[in-house]
Amino acid sequence: MHATASRKQQHIGDPLSPQPVLDRARLEAIFNDIQADARYDHELNGCLNCGICTATCPAAQYYDFSPREIVQLLWTENLEGIYDAMQEKIWACAQCYTCAARCPFRNSPGSLIMIMREVAIKHGLQSAKDVLRPFSRVMLKLISTGNQLSPDMITADHFADWGPNISKIDAPLKLLRQAIPMPTLNTMQTAWEVNLKTSIELYTIWEMTGVLKQLEIIDENLFDVITDIMDEKREDYEDWRESQDGNE
Amino acid sequence: MNDIEGTRFTGHGPEWKDAKLSARDARAATAWVEAKVDRAALTGKDRVEDVRDRMRELERDGEIVVHRIRDEHAPVEAKTLYGWTKRIPTAQLWHHKSCGQCGNIPGYPTSLLWLMNQLGTVYLDETDQTSCTAWNYHGSGIGNLESLACVFLRNFHQAYVSARAQGLPDGYYFPLVHCGTSFGNYKEVRAYLLRSAELREKVKKVLAKLGRLVDGKLLIPEEVVHYSEWLHVMRSRIRAIQTIDVGKLRAVIHPACHVYKMVPEDAIYDDEVLDGNRVAVSTGLVQALGAQVIDYSTWYDCCGFGFRHIISEREFTRSFAMDRKVKVAVEEAHADVMIGHDTGCITTLDKNQWIGKAAGKHAEIPIVADCQFAALACGAHPYKIAQLHWHASPVEKLLAQMGIDWQRAKAEFESYLEAVRNGRGEHLYDPRRAITSGPGARKPVMA
Repeated sequence: MHATASRKQQHIGDPLSPQPVLDRARLEAIFNDIQADARYDHELNGCLNCGICTATCPAAQYYDFSPREIVQLLWTENLEGIYDAMQEKIWACAQCYTCAARCPFRNSPGSLIMIMREVAIKHGLQSAKDVLRPFSRVMLKLISTGNQLSPDMITADHFADWGPNISKIDAPLKLLRQAIPMPTLNTMQTAWEVNLKTSIELYTIWEMTGVLKQLEIIDENLFDVITDIMDEKREDYEDWRESQDGNE
Repeated sequence: MNDIEGTRFTGHGPEWKDAKLSARDARAATAWVEAKVDRAALTGKDRVEDVRDRMRELERDGEIVVHRIRDEHAPVEAKTLYGWTKRIPTAQLWHHKSCGQCGNIPGYPTSLLWLMNQLGTVYLDETDQTSCTAWNYHGSGIGNLESLACVFLRNFHQAYVSARAQGLPDGYYFPLVHCGTSFGNYKEVRAYLLRSAELREKVKKVLAKLGRLVDGKLLIPEEVVHYSEWLHVMRSRIRAIQTIDVGKLRAVIHPACHVYKMVPEDAIYDDEVLDGNRVAVSTGLVQALGAQVIDYSTWYDCCGFGFRHIISEREFTRSFAMDRKVKVAVEEAHADVMIGHDTGCITTLDKNQWIGKAAGKHAEIPIVADCQFAALACGAHPYKIAQLHWHASPVEKLLAQMGIDWQRAKAEFESYLEAVRNGRGEHLYDPRRAITSGPGARKPVMA
């Protein structure tokens, strides 16, 4: 407990609200993780509140979101404001990097937001779990196969607002994919055929760089599904390797 | 400024007073913040570091190995934002595919490979490649600098060793990146790798475990090259094989944010294209093909893809795409076609026109990638090669304006599907080349 801290500094939230207040230590831990990222000092160099970032931010035109505000919160180390912005605002950013291209200080609000998103996941914020739930199909596909998008994800059911023409030629998806003249693309469940050996290498990257840990925090069920798939594919690969040994 | 006791000046407090400017004066007062991301906006800051200098130092110090662009890659020089030279390899290319292109708009990569076939370019398209994983990262925050760096180094190492499967030496193929986000992300990651010994140390452990080091060192490519840069330096040679006159077409270009706003110092600028003030790729190609390139007021805007938004906040994506790009291209520029050079942009701008009608937005315009446009102008089949049936936008109008009988071409493709069904489909290259290692691979065949 910080003896000199006001109630607002100690906690975030409405003091009259029955909702539990947040301990300042947690706010500091979150901010310390943001600051500790190797990119932080490179992407935040100062801010005069000029607002040139927000002036051309696509998300700012549609959401209650301003890259200027995000940079100011970080620059002034406003822990409560940072935590508040991490609940919703950071997820509005469209990651176009127009802000970074235009900032006279060479700040990259878009990159800073990525650091904040990573930290939101690390701390298991419920808001991050909620906002990422509809993204789970992409995560499942990417982490288990090494492809982020596959032909069988693009269906009229999932993308009704894209209209009736997923393909303007009425034929089975499998046949249309076979008619693509790149042999690697004659696939349905991945965008291209990914070598089993390649997927296994990717699993090692996920494990050694903490990505699976992130996934476990954000969606335990998805984590279980993906690790099961990984185990199966590793067994398949080991079987193949053993068969190769037998041939030599 | 009014000094109010105890109130920090924020610009939004009670001290704020409306200046009551006329609309014209207000416009003049804020003109400096106009939405431009041109050369002046990008270079009006302190000069930036060329990370390639660090790369050369680390190479000299023996800490990394650089995958060099050699004479056999037939490099062509281009100039980047600050006038730096970037060497673009034009031969012996390893295709780093895009998941969004291959999964959703496959005519994008097939058109590129078809053009390479017409120009006699040697290349390899193989199965030992992952996505860059950056779409997921920018959308979700799942992933981190270390994982992105490992994926970058793994894929580029595979490009370096891939020719072994053909009995050819390491470094024979040089990677050519198809996706704009992969291109931007890899360059950002490369810069951090070159600046941070700590990051290099961390990823080296992972790459060592994967067997993806060269002489015990990290392998860094001399350049990270986007396919649109290959098209740019090849535009005269593409023009030489052009068979269809596109001079009557009014084309607008949608430049991709991750191609020129992300690591902007590496983007190609050409004094002969848009006066050297804006990124040159795609515009230079379309001009070389003879089409009229029309400027429009939202040229600098993004497409609205948003990474996560295209999946789960589509109201934003489709509103932005329609209001800021499609409507402007149609109503202001009176364009016949919008041409882009990135995965998410083409998808977003193409797929979101249909739903616009529900909100009374009836603007429609064909959306294609620069390589698709170039392939069509060079006589590629609109369905077998350019695979335009996957496009929801009115590409038939574009084909008709180009003098291509699209109904006949469509009927030809439908007949061709029968041949495919019977196992007689045609490929752009020998399918056996696609698997270089792991299950399905064959012993090296000496070239």
